[in-house]
Amino acid sequence: MSSATCPRLFEVEAMRDGRLAGAELASFERHIASCAACSREVRELEALAEGLRAESEYRPDELHVRRERTRLLSAFNRVLVAPEVARRPRFLLLLPAATALVAMAFVFSRPRAPEHGVRAPTTVVRADPAAVWSERAEGSGKKLFLERGVLWIQVDHAPGAGRLSVVLPDGELTDNGTTFTVSVENGRTTRVAVEDGSVVLRIRGEPPVTIGQGESWIPTVRAAAPAISSAVVSEPRSLPVASARPPSSPAPSASAPGPDPSSDFRAAMSALGSGSHREAAAAFERFLTTHPRDPRAEDAAYLRIIALQRSGDSGAMKDAALAYLRRYPKGFRHAEAETLSR
Amino acid sequence: MNGRHARSPAARDVPQPSDPELLRRLASGEIGALGELYDRYHAPIRRFVARATADAEDVDDLVHATFLAAATSAAQFDGRASCRPWLIGIAVQHLRRRRRAFGRLLALLASLRGVKSAAVDPRPALQARSDIERALLRVSENQRVAFLMAEVEEMSCAEIAAALQIPIGTVWTRLHAARRELRRALEEGS
Repeated sequence: MSSATCPRLFEVEAMRDGRLAGAELASFERHIASCAACSREVRELEALAEGLRAESEYRPDELHVRRERTRLLSAFNRVLVAPEVARRPRFLLLLPAATALVAMAFVFSRPRAPEHGVRAPTTVVRADPAAVWSERAEGSGKKLFLERGVLWIQVDHAPGAGRLSVVLPDGELTDNGTTFTVSVENGRTTRVAVEDGSVVLRIRGEPPVTIGQGESWIPTVRAAAPAISSAVVSEPRSLPVASARPPSSPAPSASAPGPDPSSDFRAAMSALGSGSHREAAAAFERFLTTHPRDPRAEDAAYLRIIALQRSGDSGAMKDAALAYLRRYPKGFRHAEAETLSR
Repeated sequence: MNGRHARSPAARDVPQPSDPELLRRLASGEIGALGELYDRYHAPIRRFVARATADAEDVDDLVHATFLAAATSAAQFDGRASCRPWLIGIAVQHLRRRRRAFGRLLALLASLRGVKSAAVDPRPALQARSDIERALLRVSENQRVAFLMAEVEEMSCAEIAAALQIPIGTVWTRLHAARRELRRALEEGS
């Protein structure tokens, strides 16, 4: 093909981003060999990347590198020696004074002497540099207060030792002798992953969840979520996701979310990835109907067009493209949708 | 001493530990492993952060925070052959936090001082940036980060989506927008 433009031009980017596979990829690669416009597009996109992959001329001087290296090692040493005073970057020093006062209050309320021979659990805590947290002894147990950031916690429960709990902005987590990680962002618990043992997570207004070894928990996204937030969390690569509710409490609470948009979106993506294009188009349509305010709705609307295009139903594809344009007149994929609507 | 950091011939013969081995040692609290990790990856991480941020005043802090977070969460490394994408993912999380926490505040301070956003990168070192690097600064930070992860770090869209905690469709749209904006900026520049 020798024309200046080609209706398959957008597939160059799709190929580059790994959206084409199998027969589609092979077909498009054959097409490129005979299409001047698409092969030029391939070269131009590669040139954009190539320019940046070349070594930058920006080189920090050796002395600066050594100084920064020393600063890093001494900061890590401080974390190892006194993890609760984790160093934060300079740009975080402007945190509200109230936070500092609260943190100081906790620092000065150090663990009290054990009572009646019952010892507090032995814990190892590693905090990410931006974490805001503290710890306090409470009777025979110990409480960690996590306001923000990520804590990796290992608890060794010797016989007779007390309990450890982590107080979160939106609930509490109780440990049952374990190694786990807990993350908090914007006043919400965003992830709990258990490497060993188990924990019980109690988010306010929701039934408690037991998270066992090798499992992780992420919050369910509400359909009415205002924007893309940290609650939209991908599953960890190596850990299965725990059930959002305990098996023993099937009745959802009043605040429990409706259908899970993440699993609906994943199902639609899976259908698209496996080549079931009609099924994918239907799944994306259902997603748009069920979760119209989900942050991924625009993606779903565009992917529905792609699924219909791949299914060969050009009429439905055009309708879907027009629907996208009506719904997202300034959408990211406006240009492609406009082309496909013609 | 000039040769303080130079490796002796014997040291050169010693096989370098793999990334997973380095992270295992780091997870056990071996501070020397952090030094080795820094020596191995500080340059690409610094380059990524410097390119990802339009204002480079806190590049050092972001790189520092990235390696420190890697050190404190080394036990969570998934054991892949290279930890570079993992480090990039951590750097991106710090970029996001920084943007959320201080973006509005800095803009407000700048407007109160009557200072316009710098049209020219203030760092002398960056004056040597190529046309494409300059054009990249015209792309929004979200799009720029996704573009760098895909095209420079050669991470898959699925890896980028996982690192940024966004849907893969959003990664595609950001890459598309970044390429469009880059081309526009380069055309205008030429």
